[in-house]
Amino acid sequence: MATEDVRYRQSSQYRLWSFSPSKLASMRETTNALARASISERMLASNSLPASNNPSAPTSGVNTPEPDGATPTPTPTLPEFLTPAEELMLVTLYTSELLRAGEHMGLTDEITSTAAALFRRFYITNSIMTYPPKDMIVVSLFFGCKAEGTFPSVDHFVKALHKKGPEEILAGEFLLCQSVRFALDVKHPFRALKGATMELRRYGDIEQSRIEEAERHAREILRFSPHMTDAYFHYTPSQIMLAALSLADRGLAERLIQATFHYVAPSTSNDSDTPMANSDVGTKEARREAKAGEDQAAIIGSYVRDKVLGTIEACRDMLSKELPDRKDHWSSIAVFKVQFRPTTRKLTKCHDPDRWDLVALQRRRREQVMDKADSEDGDPEARAGTGTAAKATVDSDAAVFGGALEPRDNKRRKVLDDPFGGPL
Amino acid sequence: MSRKPIANARGPASGSTTSAALPGLSSDDMCPVCKTIRYLNKDMEFLIHPDCYHFMCSNCVNRIFNDGPNQCPYAGCHRTLRRKGFRTPFFGDLTVEREVDIRRRVAAVFNQHEEDFRTLRDYNNYLGMVEDLTFELVSGTDAQRSSAEAQLQQWEAEHKADIERNRKAGREADEASRRRIAAERDAARQRRIDAIKEAEEEKLERARTREAELDTLASAPEGQRPGGGVQLKRRVQVNRAVEAAAAATTNAAGVPGGGVAGAQPPMITKLSIQGLKEKRKPPAPEGPYDPFGGMDFVPSRYKLHDGLVHPDVDKYRFDLAHATGGYSFDDYRARAMFEAFAGLGVFIEDEKEVGSGLSASEVAAMSAGIAAVGDKMELD
Repeated sequence: MATEDVRYRQSSQYRLWSFSPSKLASMRETTNALARASISERMLASNSLPASNNPSAPTSGVNTPEPDGATPTPTPTLPEFLTPAEELMLVTLYTSELLRAGEHMGLTDEITSTAAALFRRFYITNSIMTYPPKDMIVVSLFFGCKAEGTFPSVDHFVKALHKKGPEEILAGEFLLCQSVRFALDVKHPFRALKGATMELRRYGDIEQSRIEEAERHAREILRFSPHMTDAYFHYTPSQIMLAALSLADRGLAERLIQATFHYVAPSTSNDSDTPMANSDVGTKEARREAKAGEDQAAIIGSYVRDKVLGTIEACRDMLSKELPDRKDHWSSIAVFKVQFRPTTRKLTKCHDPDRWDLVALQRRRREQVMDKADSEDGDPEARAGTGTAAKATVDSDAAVFGGALEPRDNKRRKVLDDPFGGPL
Repeated sequence: MSRKPIANARGPASGSTTSAALPGLSSDDMCPVCKTIRYLNKDMEFLIHPDCYHFMCSNCVNRIFNDGPNQCPYAGCHRTLRRKGFRTPFFGDLTVEREVDIRRRVAAVFNQHEEDFRTLRDYNNYLGMVEDLTFELVSGTDAQRSSAEAQLQQWEAEHKADIERNRKAGREADEASRRRIAAERDAARQRRIDAIKEAEEEKLERARTREAELDTLASAPEGQRPGGGVQLKRRVQVNRAVEAAAAATTNAAGVPGGGVAGAQPPMITKLSIQGLKEKRKPPAPEGPYDPFGGMDFVPSRYKLHDGLVHPDVDKYRFDLAHATGGYSFDDYRARAMFEAFAGLGVFIEDEKEVGSGLSASEVAAMSAGIAAVGDKMELD
């Protein structure tokens, strides 16, 4: 096994964020199903649905059935949820916006690409109906900067992307980190492209201008196409790089692959000539050589070459669906109106009522943590009783109606349970 | 001699060779055989024979036993003694002397170690058995004593090989520890000597340097003086450093050598005790610690050739920010080449279909966790 591959397999990108297409699809479906279930549950619980089939009746939730009346109890209808395919389409749309935002801010290719990769990873385990993609774009960009080792101020981001305040960006940071399983190191094909062109230059018989042109074009592709597709999940950076290179200049990519996987097994006729005449030492030597040859063949043999070529071809097909000239397509308003407007409208109706506002979500969680700390200080029953898990969910549900009553409640309970009786 | 003869110490009726209690040995006593008292003979020395523990003065011993074996002169004692067996008692109380002798003999026969036993309980049972036997030998009745003696002899005859082996092991261990201690002491002494020598040399060197400096200052023409002095000093320092390094290596070679020589015999003894010890031995260390867990960093698909250039990289070659220390263009080249070829042979579609990594159920559980129970997650 090639040492380079062994090293690549150590990366979090391979271990946590590489999937076969079927698995990726099934993951998206699972996420979508879970989001549907939890969102509809929360919508019903929070009573925020318009009772659409009977607009004249007063809106009411299922929890408080009306006193028996002439009008039948209006059952609130759930909005139509996005399908996994629609979700993917929207994620791709917002990825293109993210790329544009990165370009607008003058961020480097690596930062923008890291942000895009994090963004797409985030929306594999989270539905786009749960967390707001427009906010997550900014969060991803800001965090991409940090992940790539540049540390801009939040205010700069707020100003450049016309946000309301820094908390809007900071609120989603931990959420993003957690959702990408803290795998912040994204491996990109950009440096690989430089390595490949170095190697091509070394061959000496290719014109400089051709290499330069191919590199420029390939880099252009790498900036856009892999992020608009699932290439980062299905292929390794070197494969993506070679696919882009072959889109830019097929001959160069093939030349590089042929030169790399150059091992040809020595013809066996020499060995089979005098197999019996060989001494024991000779056969041992031959066997060892054969073993070394097998190893070489497994690393740079023709079988591997064909397989790599097949993979790169598949990657090339994937990238060619979203070549950089489709940028205009994604950013044009006309196309947006026709293609995406219906879906985004749908999204505004079916998004998660609790989690759409990241700032409020974070504030709520903070309060909840504080409350928990308070109650743990205050009454030991809460800890010993139903268990913290159940308590926390009760708290969070109660927090929807405002958490102001909570402390007083605690105090009252404490007084009642006081073994020495109430206050004098 | 720290021992203090006790004047009239009478052991309990020990039922030993004589039915009467053994007489106490005292310096101002008189010899019970010839009635000489110490006042008459300053150099009088009492001797005993381990057969009956009756003491008498050396003159009596010479007188009675010079002509060969003879009967013990004590009344009622019919032991035939030889002169060769007489010795100076270590303890004033002859009962103690006798018990110590017996214990020494028993310990020589029952010389098993705790490691030879499967459990601690077995070992303790064995110790109890040995103690019972010893007690019978020391202060049992005649019958008990003879039976215990017979048991002891039988055991000795049956387990001759074992006993011999254990004894040898014990001797070797003693020997080894003695040698190790001696080696350590030697090494320490050597170190001390070296340190003294080094200090002296340094002092000498300093004086010589000073002289040399003065000489140069005196002899050199005006312009060259300070530079020359500095150069000389530096050379001297370098020399001294080299010497120190050389000395350190010889020291290191010498001391561990002694250490190894001292440390090896215990290994042998461990092996020779019995098979049990080997199993408990911790696994042999597998060489030095490898922080990369045995990962190979030699590229197998490409070679790092010299002629790898890239215009985007080369333009920084004369950039001051990159020319400062710590930035290596070779490292960049190596990294770029590695990234260009790393993972070429990794086929995610094949490997991740059934392979390790994030399984679908795991992801489902995770996203469920984030979506449903997210309220509980730790903040900041």
